Amino acid sequence: MLFFNYLNSSLRSLVRQKTYLLINLLGLSMGIAAYLVIVMYVTYEKSFDNHIEQGNNIFRVVEVQNEPGVGNQHVAITMGPLARELKNTFPSVKETLRVMPAYQIASVEYNNKLLRETNMMYADPSIFNMFSIKISLGNPNKLLEEPRSLVISEDVAIKYFGSAEKALNSMLLLNNMPYRIEAIMENQTKHSHIYFDILISMSSIEGTPEFEWMDHWGSNSLVTYLLLDNKDQAKEIEKALPQFIKDKIFSQNEGWEFLEMYLQPLDDIYLKSKHIKFQMVYAAGDARTVSIFMVISALILLIACVNYINISLARSVKQAREVGMRKVLGADRMSLVYRFISESLVITLIAILLAVGMLELILPEINSMLGTSFVLDFRKPLFNIGLLLLLVIISLVSGSYPAFYLSRYQPISVLKGGIKSSVKSSYLSKSLVVFQFAISIGLIFSILMINDQIRYIQKKDLGITYSNSLFLFFGQNDFKKLDVLKQSLLENPAIRSVSGSSFINGVSGSQGPIFINDTANTKLTVRYGFVDEDFFKTMNIELIEGRNFDPTIHRDSAGVVILNQSAVKKLGWSDINGKKLSATADGDSTMQPDVIGVIRDYHYYSLRSVIEPAAYFYVPEMFRGVTIKYSAQESRANIEKFIESKWKELFPKTPYQSVFADQYISDTYKSDLKIRNLFVYFAILSMFLSCLGLYGLTSLLIEQKTKTIGIKRALGSSVSSIVFDLVKEYLVLVGLAGLIAIPLSIMFIQRFLDDYSYRVEISFYNIVVAILMAVTIAFITVVFKAGKTANSNPLEALKYE
Amino acid sequence: MNTTMLKTVNLTKIFRTDEVETTALHNVSFQIQSGEFVAIMGPSGCGKSTLLNIIGLLDNPSGGDYYFMGQEVSKFTEKMRANIRKKNIGFVFQNFNLIDELNVYENIELPLIYLGMSSSERKKRVEATLEQMQIMHRRKHFPLQLSGGQQQRVAVARAVVANPHLILADEPTGNLDSAHGEEVMNLLAQLNQSGTTIIMVTHSQHDAEYSQRIVRLFDGQIVNENIRFGKPEISVLDS
Repeated sequence: MLFFNYLNSSLRSLVRQKTYLLINLLGLSMGIAAYLVIVMYVTYEKSFDNHIEQGNNIFRVVEVQNEPGVGNQHVAITMGPLARELKNTFPSVKETLRVMPAYQIASVEYNNKLLRETNMMYADPSIFNMFSIKISLGNPNKLLEEPRSLVISEDVAIKYFGSAEKALNSMLLLNNMPYRIEAIMENQTKHSHIYFDILISMSSIEGTPEFEWMDHWGSNSLVTYLLLDNKDQAKEIEKALPQFIKDKIFSQNEGWEFLEMYLQPLDDIYLKSKHIKFQMVYAAGDARTVSIFMVISALILLIACVNYINISLARSVKQAREVGMRKVLGADRMSLVYRFISESLVITLIAILLAVGMLELILPEINSMLGTSFVLDFRKPLFNIGLLLLLVIISLVSGSYPAFYLSRYQPISVLKGGIKSSVKSSYLSKSLVVFQFAISIGLIFSILMINDQIRYIQKKDLGITYSNSLFLFFGQNDFKKLDVLKQSLLENPAIRSVSGSSFINGVSGSQGPIFINDTANTKLTVRYGFVDEDFFKTMNIELIEGRNFDPTIHRDSAGVVILNQSAVKKLGWSDINGKKLSATADGDSTMQPDVIGVIRDYHYYSLRSVIEPAAYFYVPEMFRGVTIKYSAQESRANIEKFIESKWKELFPKTPYQSVFADQYISDTYKSDLKIRNLFVYFAILSMFLSCLGLYGLTSLLIEQKTKTIGIKRALGSSVSSIVFDLVKEYLVLVGLAGLIAIPLSIMFIQRFLDDYSYRVEISFYNIVVAILMAVTIAFITVVFKAGKTANSNPLEALKYE
Repeated sequence: MNTTMLKTVNLTKIFRTDEVETTALHNVSFQIQSGEFVAIMGPSGCGKSTLLNIIGLLDNPSGGDYYFMGQEVSKFTEKMRANIRKKNIGFVFQNFNLIDELNVYENIELPLIYLGMSSSERKKRVEATLEQMQIMHRRKHFPLQLSGGQQQRVAVARAVVANPHLILADEPTGNLDSAHGEEVMNLLAQLNQSGTTIIMVTHSQHDAEYSQRIVRLFDGQIVNENIRFGKPEISVLDS
């Protein structure tokens, strides 16, 4: 009964003060909506690989290497015999799994369908059990044991054969070799660190001459997963690993001087692998980004609650009378606390409903921005429990202070004709305003800095010019027709230059040692690049010493090497005169390649990573395709049409596949852009919410000051001087917020920037801009409200009280 | 008729701020019998309202004893005071103090809710009171839709709905014109006739004449107590 009575009076009082109801509802619902979006994002990020049933007991082996010229590095690729030896050595290893992307398969063919597949993988038979793969057609036992056997996804089956039934037991040609389809698996989720739609038996390559390295400990290319009986055994295995490495690996004399290993839980792979190189993964997240967003969402929610608290406190003068009167009539304090909390409960409930409505509207937008497919699923009990929790928490956070504050009034105060808000509560209100603006200023500053960094990356001289270029992928043996391809492409005047190369960035992705032909046989770990004489010119990479490759010189095919500056620096050379390697890239020590030139360091990977030493060889067999530079005047569509037609003429057996440089670049920085976009939204939102709160608060405070304003006006004070007095008060608060926000956000942004090896400095300019923006917005808000009051007839104001 | 409603012995009230100590009441001793209609008068700042607050159990004295219906209550906590208050005392204020967000019916019902009365009993009582105060037709109105006189009528209704033994009125006509003031005074007098004890603070000699006794306060002390006999003829209530 009492509840309805309270509800009645609180709802009516809210409806009467529509502006504040609106501010509260708008603020809370937007805050809640933003919070829910982030919760969905965080849940999504944290639930990668959840489909793997035994995930808790699965680990990935990570190596810690120490490479001359590179230093310590964690790598997720391992040696061929590792899985077998770990299983033999440690009884707690129940199963092992090796996987390796099948990059060298350039064509997949059935009848007249000829395509290049990008999600093919070699795998051990244990993959089905370990990664919970369900077989939808075919005998699920003894899969991928035979050489040249395949398991393909339903989608792939339909793509090539029209149906899973037709695909089963059929043959697919991979690089023109027949492979038998043993079974059809369900389409795999992309919500995983690993993704594949064609699995090839590991036995197809094991023991073949090309993959002879798989029998040795000197080369790392496979990812090794272990399934343990129980996850606690990982610690024991890790303890025994140094001895294992000594016994099994160092004893083989395969060139290891330093090697450590550890087991990374499967659940950590997606989010906690930023420090690991050579991860053959489909998707990688970042635990830090996730936690940053969690903090931001909590802050936004807090801003919304603070608005609520502030407005409640400001309204308190009006409500004090009700509280006092109810107490006179016998209400006790708890029942009044209950009244105010129930009020905030009702408002929060409405706000949550509004937030859910808003989400329905904006989710498509958010999904396209994040590349996700979030939906509001009310059938999920967790979702509903979450909303309920949110309801309780927000109502308590925003309702309890006002409740205890307001219920404190003694009934006697009502007889004295209302109360003025106490000094203490106005301090609280002010610190809450400072808090809100501190968050907004911090976010604005962070956006400006992130923006600077992204612009810096986009504008920075990478040492390589990616504009107007693309890369075409060769199939097996296509390199033999490089000259013909060059000629026929260059017939088109819009095509400026064509060069055989490892990739558009000039390096192959692999890392390995070069040995210097000196007394110490100095070793340097480098990135290999295989390029022809046109590559450096095509991509505007500057040769700073020596000469370029020259096909007219017989020795240049395989016999010479060009280094980048970093390599030369690491070697401590002042020049390259007479310098030689002691073997070629493929380890042929009958030749000692001359170091013929040095190129200026350029960023073959993103600005996040340091430029490692690199060595470039002229080895046409290792070219994975051609890099093409075209004229800026020509349209991309025309260029692509022309190239594709030429390609089909020359390489009827290789599917046409190209990648444009800008695409490759933007993929590299995609996550940064994503972060920036999200940040922009959240900063705007938090600024908006803070202003909303400020507007509400000033409105109420000015209402209370109506009498003062009236008296001042009656005594002849000008509108502008009254407004100035009011504005001054708030500007001081915003300034204070800036002082608090800036050092904190500098710390935060420094951590973001630390991730880049090449980064912008903290800019004073951005600090000033962030504070000025907040000041301006606060100024406009206050002036808007204060001006209205100050302009009104002083008589009205005096009558008011 | 001859039981003692309340009695104060050397009642003192001192207000302290950081620097100033103000004695609002100084050794106030008096006694009020059940069924009396007493007016407290005195200039602004003499301590009238402070006395009324203590009598009404809204505040505790700084010293002295206060017997309310035979019970010494001067050291009671707010919770204990609230408990006595809601059962025994009705309040009428100068500025009405109706809750703007509740309508007439709900405002009058409020004390009964705090008494924990059942809803059917409340309905009976509120309707009887609405009838008695002749404001049945206003029951759905909100305070801001009523004139001052009507609001005070509602406030009086709220004060009497729980059948309190004592009604405290703090300048009940202070915000009303003379016609509406008259009406309210007649209401109070009528209530007194039916047995309710009434204590009223007022500035108005005219209003004070409705009472049987006037207590005059000056600088926190009683300076004069004279017994009078209330107006014999009660004018008929008009709406």
